[in-house]
Amino acid sequence: MMLGLRRKLAMLCGKIAGVIVQKIGKGRGSVLPGHVARLIEPDILSYMVDRFQGRIVVTMGTNGKTTVNSMIYHALEEEGKKVIANRAGANMLNGVTAAFVQAAGRGGRFDADYACIEVDEFASTQILPRLKPDCVLLTNLFRDQIDRFGEIDTIRERIKAAISSVPKAVFVSNCDDFISYTLALECGNPVVTYGINEQIFDGISNSEVRESTFCRYCGGKLEYDFFHYGQLGIYHCPSCEWKRPVPDYTAEQIRFQETGYAFVIDGVPICSRASAPYSVYNTLSAYTALRVLEAPVGRFRETIEGFNYGNNREGTFTVNGARVQLHLVKNPVGFQQKISMIMKDPKPKDIMIQINDNFQDGTDISWLWDVDFLYLKDAAAASVTVMGIRRLDMALRLKYEDIACEPAEDIEKAVRKLSENGTGNLYMIVNYTGLFPANQMLRKLQEESKKKQKGKKGGSVK
Amino acid sequence: MKLTIGHLYPDMLNLYGDRGNIRCFQKRLEWRGIEAELKYFLSGEAVDFSGLDLVLLGGGSDREQELVCRYLKEEKQGFREYVESGGTMLAVCGGYQLLGKYYKTDRTMIEGLDILDIHTEWDARRLTGNIILQSPLSKAPVVGFENHGGRTYIGNHTPFGKVVYGYGNTEEAEWEGVVYKNVIASYLHGPLLPKNPEICDDLLRRALTHKYGEDISLSELSDQTEHRANQFMADRLMKERKHR
Repeated sequence: MMLGLRRKLAMLCGKIAGVIVQKIGKGRGSVLPGHVARLIEPDILSYMVDRFQGRIVVTMGTNGKTTVNSMIYHALEEEGKKVIANRAGANMLNGVTAAFVQAAGRGGRFDADYACIEVDEFASTQILPRLKPDCVLLTNLFRDQIDRFGEIDTIRERIKAAISSVPKAVFVSNCDDFISYTLALECGNPVVTYGINEQIFDGISNSEVRESTFCRYCGGKLEYDFFHYGQLGIYHCPSCEWKRPVPDYTAEQIRFQETGYAFVIDGVPICSRASAPYSVYNTLSAYTALRVLEAPVGRFRETIEGFNYGNNREGTFTVNGARVQLHLVKNPVGFQQKISMIMKDPKPKDIMIQINDNFQDGTDISWLWDVDFLYLKDAAAASVTVMGIRRLDMALRLKYEDIACEPAEDIEKAVRKLSENGTGNLYMIVNYTGLFPANQMLRKLQEESKKKQKGKKGGSVK
Repeated sequence: MKLTIGHLYPDMLNLYGDRGNIRCFQKRLEWRGIEAELKYFLSGEAVDFSGLDLVLLGGGSDREQELVCRYLKEEKQGFREYVESGGTMLAVCGGYQLLGKYYKTDRTMIEGLDILDIHTEWDARRLTGNIILQSPLSKAPVVGFENHGGRTYIGNHTPFGKVVYGYGNTEEAEWEGVVYKNVIASYLHGPLLPKNPEICDDLLRRALTHKYGEDISLSELSDQTEHRANQFMADRLMKERKHR
């Protein structure tokens, strides 16, 4: 009785906390409700999950987890399903708990068919045993935020412990990434794989620096027919004959069109609007998870073709008539992909790069030297501006590729100047803590220039 | 003039931007009109030290280091001769540890090259963060980033620098790295050389002098970008230290 009351109180207080933060405009209530509920009943998440009748899918991985989680969420909604999801980035225990607290109805009941939950790899050992998901999708494993996580092997062990703790969950694994795929095999969970058989990506997206490619079974050196990017590719071990399996799901006839990658999954042609090579993997992994969940996929094509890749994070803005594209980079593999994307745009452009070293960015920025910036020389860049706390390090990195750049302290001023006097085609690349402020600032400038535009039109009528 | 640079095992020892050190060697030679040839030795390939003037041994994860150790056994003799005869080398993090007698981790004992009379012991608490050294090899402070679980005990060896901010060889040591003959061994990533051009030039000078048998002075470069990036970190960290 007491326990029952406490649980209800925990959920209620969590909900109230959510309402309050939203009312006073201090946030979206994506984490605090979970925090408050767990103060009252630390294991409230397990209780809510037990009462949740639908199926649960977890998405993890270094790159792409927010996008993939959002794709699965939208695909299910498109099919008319009721879906719970945590907010982008609210992927630690409190954030996941908050998603369930916020979705709980009267008497702690849930009216939903699915829960799509993005989980931070480091927090996975706390979250997965409580969440008992039906399906766990691991997008890939690259080095990221390394000073927080230690080496990639450490994080891999952590994920392994987390997924092994839920042995019934189907592990959806990218089999082109031998690091994730061997992990999937080691966990002992049922495994469903996805991968790309065709050689489609250009050399630019493929940095020289990758995780070491050694067979995890015999220590021999893996041989690759070709790399997709990072350590992803078609590999086999010549010493022990272990090799990449034939994937259960694949994307075929992949080609780059003007607006983005087009490809065919399970016989269905899809023209995505995403132009970074990894977006093909994102779509394919989301599709695989849906099939594992036995969810309807009849409208998957529509979902992807209309998908907003913004996630409220990246996006395209119009400032003073200039197109400004905001992109997030968190690690060398991601940055290399963005460079490849920029190279696909033949028009003259101005490039801005902001590098911070706050805790969430990772305080070690040495990874900038693992990015091959030399390609930017041929990117038709009229100017390169470096910004952020570590702009001088970024300037130094570019100096060692003989690329000239201009440091700027005031980012807004720099955007204003470039949008007025530049090429009209602006790429702004930021790392984690730069993203939210940049997004806010670009929205503001976009609004301002819209007003200016209206003012001018009004004037001409007179 | 020309230097041949050997990058050892870049397929395994390539953590945290350490190849930036290679870039730094290359460009600072190129800007001075000195030819730089780069040779990669992948793990498993035999290293011909006789053709090398400058060597980078980078860092890898503990697991990778264990693997590298297998290959290194074959190279022990060549390695030792290279160092003892005055060959120039930069060894970073894992590479630094490998030059010693052994590295004892929580799971295993990794045998080193036994070139330096040092040893390393693993501890669960990683020593991570920005670091500043004062080194006789550089007028400017040496700035970098350290990220290591190993504690290295250097015995009677000469350290690379005195720790002004951060940890160094161990929490208590107050010293960082080792300088032995023409070898600099250090935990500093960053990567080490781009923001510390004096250290880079010191290594280049050693390598040229060793190769051409006379004292070679390098022409000045305009290092404004380097100095600004260095000074920014040095100032910021010293300010933090005062507030502690």
